[in-house]
Amino acid sequence: MFTVIRSAAHARSSFSWRAIPPSSVARRVPANYRTLVTTKYTKEHEAIVFDDATGVGAVSITNHAQKSLGDVVFVELPTIGSKVGKGEQIGAVESVKAASDIYAPVSGQVVEVNERLNDEPGLLNRSPEQDGKSCLNA
Amino acid sequence: MSLPPVFYHYFHTPLPYARTLALQEKLHQIQLAARRASSHQDLLLLLQHRPVYTSGRRQTTDELAAERARLTHIGADFVETARGGQLTYHGPGQLVGYPLFDLARTSPPMGIREYVCRMQRMIQTYLSSEHGIRGVPSEHTGIFLDGTTKIASIGIQVRHRLTTHGFAMNVTKEPLRWFDQVVACGLADVKAGCIELATGKPVQVDDVIGGVVAAFGATYRRDMEKLRVESAGEVGEAIKALEDESLAAGEWPKYPTTD
Repeated sequence: MFTVIRSAAHARSSFSWRAIPPSSVARRVPANYRTLVTTKYTKEHEAIVFDDATGVGAVSITNHAQKSLGDVVFVELPTIGSKVGKGEQIGAVESVKAASDIYAPVSGQVVEVNERLNDEPGLLNRSPEQDGKSCLNA
Repeated sequence: MSLPPVFYHYFHTPLPYARTLALQEKLHQIQLAARRASSHQDLLLLLQHRPVYTSGRRQTTDELAAERARLTHIGADFVETARGGQLTYHGPGQLVGYPLFDLARTSPPMGIREYVCRMQRMIQTYLSSEHGIRGVPSEHTGIFLDGTTKIASIGIQVRHRLTTHGFAMNVTKEPLRWFDQVVACGLADVKAGCIELATGKPVQVDDVIGGVVAAFGATYRRDMEKLRVESAGEVGEAIKALEDESLAAGEWPKYPTTD
């Protein structure tokens, strides 16, 4: 189960913007309605891709972070339904015997987590900002 | 711009684990607050623990319940932690090092893989240059004398790029009888080794401090300065408080109670 965000019809972003796979959950948006999907990065390890149409942001760790962490062997995910404040601890990632805490880039409620990471923690190394996401509703 | 020195402190008396964890937490909070004013120091605590088994981030209270009961029964403490790595033992005869570092002192920040890699290299350098002990490379984090003998372990926690926990290196034979009671680090066919057995010469933890501090400074490229506890403010007070407490705690079990 992935957290998927609908790709924007017109993406208007001056910084890096990643192609997002199309949603498997159909969501109707009027043809003349422009959605904006932006990617923002924290000072630490996290990136958030926020879709203002759905009000949902997908939190992942950056490609740079996964390289500097090494092979991920364990991911600690938040509980669905939990409310987090910006900057609060939201999970952890373990690699080379180092457990690194992950922080919520924005305040909100966790609506979905990427359960695949329980069995395939290495996904964070292979596709950190796509398949390796958890999800936050801001 | 050169980096400030790392302030190190060696505790002469074995420390209770839970109280030392509380000290690490306190020092971490002090560092976090002081970092905003760029007045925080990088620290290296060197110590031994009273006999204790500790678990890591991945392990849940439920799955540890049986082990916890068994191991406290043989005379050790048992504490769950948020560091990386799995079950391990700490006790007298083993040098434990807690570098409390800000990885973001350099620009770009030191990555975690790099930090752990240097820690391994530091221990390897110390063992080979001071004791002529050469290990073997391994896919597992830690220092191995051969495929089935582990002499040192690493387990770290990083929050906001500030590190806690660290490394543990067996110096005398004393920890080995406690390691024999468990499967440590999730490696079923691996046994613990120590400097004393590897070299065939007697050695005490007190003897290794100077060499480890030097190896640390060389590997992390930092000047190492002895912490002056009396003039170290909040940090010094917290350290002194734990030392006083440990002296008052008296003797510890030298052997596991196996009946």
